[in-house]
Amino acid sequence: MIILLLALIIMLAIYTLTSKDLLHGVIAMSAVSLICALLFTILQAPDVAITEAAVGAGVSTVIFVWALRHSKRRDDEGE
Amino acid sequence: MKENSKRSRYWSRFTTVIAIVAMAVVLLPIFLNDTSWPIEARDYLAHSGTEESGAINLVSAIYLGYRVFDTFGETIVLLVAVLGTMGMLSRVESLVDTSLEEEHTIGSVSGFSLTNEKRRSHALRTHLLEVVTGKIGPIVLLFGFYVMLYGHVSPGGGFQGGVIIASGIVFLALGNPQEGSSGISNPELLVRLESAAFLTLILVFFSGLLIGNGFFGNPLAHTQIPVGYIVILNAVIGMKVGTSLGFMCIAMMGGGS
Repeated sequence: MIILLLALIIMLAIYTLTSKDLLHGVIAMSAVSLICALLFTILQAPDVAITEAAVGAGVSTVIFVWALRHSKRRDDEGE
Repeated sequence: MKENSKRSRYWSRFTTVIAIVAMAVVLLPIFLNDTSWPIEARDYLAHSGTEESGAINLVSAIYLGYRVFDTFGETIVLLVAVLGTMGMLSRVESLVDTSLEEEHTIGSVSGFSLTNEKRRSHALRTHLLEVVTGKIGPIVLLFGFYVMLYGHVSPGGGFQGGVIIASGIVFLALGNPQEGSSGISNPELLVRLESAAFLTLILVFFSGLLIGNGFFGNPLAHTQIPVGYIVILNAVIGMKVGTSLGFMCIAMMGGGS
């Protein structure tokens, strides 16, 4: 179970780095935080799990989306 | 041109490999060493931590009792981070406004924004968002207060509850688009609450001096309710974290100024 979740975290992290759309990357990163929170719960650290869920999946996602909204779409390789 | 891009791709792969090797060099000794964990502090806490601090949740007993200096540092770090964000935000807003004039931004990535934010289009701001956040906001706020005030019994505490309270404040701000319809998302009130909470925090830290337990000392240590100190600290830290993060998010969504 834990190995499965860790593999999922690595896959999502690679997707975050390689995805073209930055919004998809942000959502994948928030999913990484959520799975981390699940892992902390399995490892019996509920305090850390609450922090990870609230800060990683909540506030930091909001801040990233806010920063994304003030950026423009541009594709360098199309030229 | 093509050669150039190919070379840069190889270079980026090379730097990735170097980064992974450097991480391995730093982390492998930690994974591979077989030094036994220190057990003295663990045994002491497991044996007498609950009686000494009165908290059932030993994690909050540690970070608000035995290691309260770290918590004080964390609070200051958060204060400085919010201050820096607000300082940067006041400059970023002016840059953003000029760039918005050049180009239509309809269909940009997100739907959440407050009504007085300077945007071309509120196309993605639907009534669904307002209805759901307005209804769910008070419940989230209540849950945040629960996590904050029961930090000594159940998992949670000031920081976690504070972040949930901040989410509740942002939800209320999003769900009540008319100005002033929900008093708690008023930025001026949030700033005042934050300052008052930080002042109270420092006063609580000094309160041990009056009894003779020193700075950070628990003034209720030898009474029937030593846990009162942890409850008060949780409440004050939760108010500080919640109001400062809520204020920051509201300011980022254009509610501040």
